[in-house]
Amino acid sequence: METTLAESSKWEQFHLAFDLFRDPLLCALIAGGVLGFLSVYVVLRRMVFVSAAVAQSAGLGVALAFYAAIHLGVHVEPVLGATALALLATLLLMTEPAKLRLTRESLLGLAYALAGGAAVLVGDRIAQEAHDIQGILFGTAVLVTPEQLYTVAIAGAAVMFIHLWWYRGITFASFDRTGALVQGLPVRLLDGVLMVSIGVMVGVCARALGALPVFAFSTLSAIAALMLELRLPWTFFVATLFGAIAGVGGYLFAFFYDFPVGGSQTVFAAAMVAAATVLRMLVHARQKAR
Amino acid sequence: MKTADPTGGPHTVPASFVPGDALLTCEKLVIGYDGKAILPPIDLTIRRGQFVAVVGRNGSGKSTWFRTLLGMQPPVSGTITRASAQVRSAYVPQTSAIDGLLPLRADELTAWGRLRGWSFLWPFARKTDRQAVHSALETAGALPFASRPYRELSEGQKQRTLLARLVATEADLVLLDEPTAAMDAVAERETMQRLCTLSRERGLGVVVVCHDLEVAAEHADVLVFVDRETSAFVVGDARTVFCHPAFRRQYGDEYCQRAPLGPHRGNDAR
Repeated sequence: METTLAESSKWEQFHLAFDLFRDPLLCALIAGGVLGFLSVYVVLRRMVFVSAAVAQSAGLGVALAFYAAIHLGVHVEPVLGATALALLATLLLMTEPAKLRLTRESLLGLAYALAGGAAVLVGDRIAQEAHDIQGILFGTAVLVTPEQLYTVAIAGAAVMFIHLWWYRGITFASFDRTGALVQGLPVRLLDGVLMVSIGVMVGVCARALGALPVFAFSTLSAIAALMLELRLPWTFFVATLFGAIAGVGGYLFAFFYDFPVGGSQTVFAAAMVAAATVLRMLVHARQKAR
Repeated sequence: MKTADPTGGPHTVPASFVPGDALLTCEKLVIGYDGKAILPPIDLTIRRGQFVAVVGRNGSGKSTWFRTLLGMQPPVSGTITRASAQVRSAYVPQTSAIDGLLPLRADELTAWGRLRGWSFLWPFARKTDRQAVHSALETAGALPFASRPYRELSEGQKQRTLLARLVATEADLVLLDEPTAAMDAVAERETMQRLCTLSRERGLGVVVVCHDLEVAAEHADVLVFVDRETSAFVVGDARTVFCHPAFRRQYGDEYCQRAPLGPHRGNDAR
């Protein structure tokens, strides 16, 4: 009974303060959806750790923006710092590592470790913003400013527009690079569009939601969708849906059960994978039974 | 000589087949890395309807030449000239090059063959493209499994799907990288016969990297033997290539003794 009262009380709180929660929910919906769409490329192109390294770099970008404001008196928008560092990491990871006699994994390790370590060092010098830094890295931020929401919405709309428009070209260039090159497609441009999309979305979303849930949306959504063994266009659609559900569902779960938002969204995204796996097993069992 | 028709029926290849117009010409082409040549200068012309098989051991320079032809690697010196800007190229990867995780149906993979240059700016497949894909699947004998996921197909079916994509490109010049790798002997022979027939019927210039010397000799008009170790790039019919000292050094005398006399089907590619 007590639980029911507590729950109804929470619902009431949620309803009364919906104006406060609307922006973060919308932000989670858009970020989860767009990152979910991009996650299909991230997973199928074996770039899962690219996403991790870029998200980590976005965290460093925010920390550097705070540092610049506090110690150097230079005002840099944290979202700009996040996006700039995320793009820088993306460009670094786009370079051909063989030229440096390195594997791509080595570059990823370098980018991830450097960004993570530097974020800790910079965070140590901006103790007054430690909470914000923690929020960025792990997604503990409950609220989202209107500017952050607009940034995520505009970036998300631009990314989705170009990706739906160029869908045929980007998929061909992504999954059969040589074939696309020989058939005269501008593969470097298409690759660039994809990588910049990932860099920008990870950057702006990491500032608003935190690096951890951004990493989860940009990987787990596609893993869950791929479990369902659908056609490629449907995989993109379902991954978008799963990402959006994880974003919104995770936020609500965090609110109703008093958990950190980023962790809840991450666990929610992982739960999607578990649910999709169970569904797949059931479908296979049914097919066998026939 | 009988070969299998792509639609399944027998098809007779004219014994007096003569390759057509030049599609692509390599002139004093030197290939290599970081400005260092790995093979002697290459002079070779690939013509319409000509079937060229490239043989050689692993690391012999086949892939480097292939990548240079595909435009993925700059030559050290020399030129690669297409007969005209209208000459279309297509590339057929190994069946294993298409990721097994990719949830793509055979017909969707074939539809990629219709993309060229900036045509992807039109977001939907046109009716003519859909018809061409259907026709290509039919021609390659891939229609019965067109709606099945590519990853669930047998090696032979995967290869037929890739051949359907090749047909859909309406290319003039086709480059295939070990298309029969991972296939059993029957599927390998069937694939080579399909390629041969496509080459003849559609006037395609076909360049195929192949490890099976006997299959290569049986189907190709021209053999190219590449050997980085002895700096050899030998072009000719099966006997010319198999009896070349550089070839015999790598593979022994057995192939030379069994090689047919004279050009097998076509003319010298030079």
